[in-house]
Amino acid sequence: MTPSASARRALWPYAVAVLAVAVSLFPIFWILTIALKTRFDAFAMPPVWFFSPVWENFGRAWSSTGFSGAFLNSLIVCAIGNVLALAAGIPAAYYLNRRNVPGRRTILIWLLISYMLPEFLFIVPMYVLFQSIGLYDTVIGLALIYQVFTLPFTIWLLRAFFADIPEALAEAARLEGAGTLRIVWTIYVPIAAPGIAATVILNAIKMWNELTIALALTFEKAQTVTLAVAGFRGYASIDWGAMSAASIIIILPMALFAILAQRRIVQGLSLGAVK
Amino acid sequence: MRRDKHIRWLIAPALVLLAAGTLYPVIYAGYLSLLQWNWGSEAKFVGLRNFVRILSGSGFPKALFNTFYFAVCAVVIETLLGLGLALAINRIRTGAGLIRTLMILPLMVSGIAVSLIWKVMLDPTLGIVNYLLSLVGIAGPAWLGTVPTAMPSIIMIDTWWQTAFTFIILSSALKSLPAEPFEAARLEGATPFQTFRHVTLPMLKPVLITVIIFRTIDTLKVFDIIFGTTGGGPLRATESVQTLAYQTAFKSYKFGESAAIAVVFSLIILALCILYLVIDTDDGEKA
Repeated sequence: MTPSASARRALWPYAVAVLAVAVSLFPIFWILTIALKTRFDAFAMPPVWFFSPVWENFGRAWSSTGFSGAFLNSLIVCAIGNVLALAAGIPAAYYLNRRNVPGRRTILIWLLISYMLPEFLFIVPMYVLFQSIGLYDTVIGLALIYQVFTLPFTIWLLRAFFADIPEALAEAARLEGAGTLRIVWTIYVPIAAPGIAATVILNAIKMWNELTIALALTFEKAQTVTLAVAGFRGYASIDWGAMSAASIIIILPMALFAILAQRRIVQGLSLGAVK
Repeated sequence: MRRDKHIRWLIAPALVLLAAGTLYPVIYAGYLSLLQWNWGSEAKFVGLRNFVRILSGSGFPKALFNTFYFAVCAVVIETLLGLGLALAINRIRTGAGLIRTLMILPLMVSGIAVSLIWKVMLDPTLGIVNYLLSLVGIAGPAWLGTVPTAMPSIIMIDTWWQTAFTFIILSSALKSLPAEPFEAARLEGATPFQTFRHVTLPMLKPVLITVIIFRTIDTLKVFDIIFGTTGGGPLRATESVQTLAYQTAFKSYKFGESAAIAVVFSLIILALCILYLVIDTDDGEKA
């Protein structure tokens, strides 16, 4: 084999990687450029590649009806949803991590089934229930119903993280007279902290991006950021600039998450799928 | 481990939430599906008439066909592409972390933003995609606007959005494979293809099956990217089961019929999962 041939052989994965990264990023980059163009430039054909950015589209998107309120709603839903999922999920994961506890298998299968159910199977019953008990169009109601997917996911992941913690630690604490709750709180939670962080991030991403359930169970007061973005489509004359800016606003927090916590996200996704 | 009689209380909060979030709706949806009930009017018990109506009508079978068409194509393409990318990037030593970080970005984007991005890019006259095609002399189609091209466009959008998922998981699995079998294959002078066929693939199989299951369930539930791009059009060419259930419940206010659609579809997904469990002897209790 000539040196050049072996060099070529070593380079092809890089060529594939560069192409894959380019295809992955181009649409996001393109929508960012449209968000930063004047209306005139955004509609130009052929496209304008060099332009001086303007910020007016972001201003129009942010101040459009209900957008900033929706942004806040989504943040609150992510926070409450995560608190609920951890409060119920951490003890449940500890329980399911123990062998021969009653109902273990049934509960695990149940967790998988809740992941499988199409949203509209529970959306319609929940709509009827929420209308009658006053949870329709509230952030609390939304955070509660999001437990349908956040809780199984949280339990599933944390169980995998807890499984790596040696039982001898819990045994030792038990001999010193610590109760179960204290063992979970002082041993399992601190050791599994990185795993818990991964879970929280993945839950936040899922809730932040969720559309289907929010569409059916909120109206105006509790509308989420995805619905505010959806509101930009379907007018007779679409305001492309503001629509693109709104898309960037919703992408940005999650993109930052991905860049700052890439390793955690990958770890969480892999564990969730493989275990 | 000493028996601990208080341990049952640990599972209680989760069970309460699960029961409220899944058990109640499943039972209630089953009951609703037997009613003729338009929101705001008097409910009437009609037995299985909703099921007869949706199965003999044109809307549901069409949506079912569309959904499977979408799911099969998207899962096959995303799995093969994700596997190919994982194999390629597995050979990269420097910069692999950065590449992975950049490649998972589409996965972080909300389905509604994905829809809007591609709506803008695929616009027949003002979109960048047809402009780039015109540079190489191809007259681009109207993508989301015509019946034959609408669903392939949705499949393409989903591929851009979700291939990162299959890629990341297969990539992690590849990294954690033991080195000895590959060493042995190398010593026996196996070609790269033989190594892949007889060493890599068998070891990846469990993860590959898991990825396929996850993507199958997710694609069957498709809603966001159809709602955000075509709304099920043109001429119902992209109507999926979930967009139909949405229209039926929240546009036509036929709650009973919508519940029937969701019940039938849930049973289909459940049947598929049971089929998989029967085929795959491993019961998923590896953890």
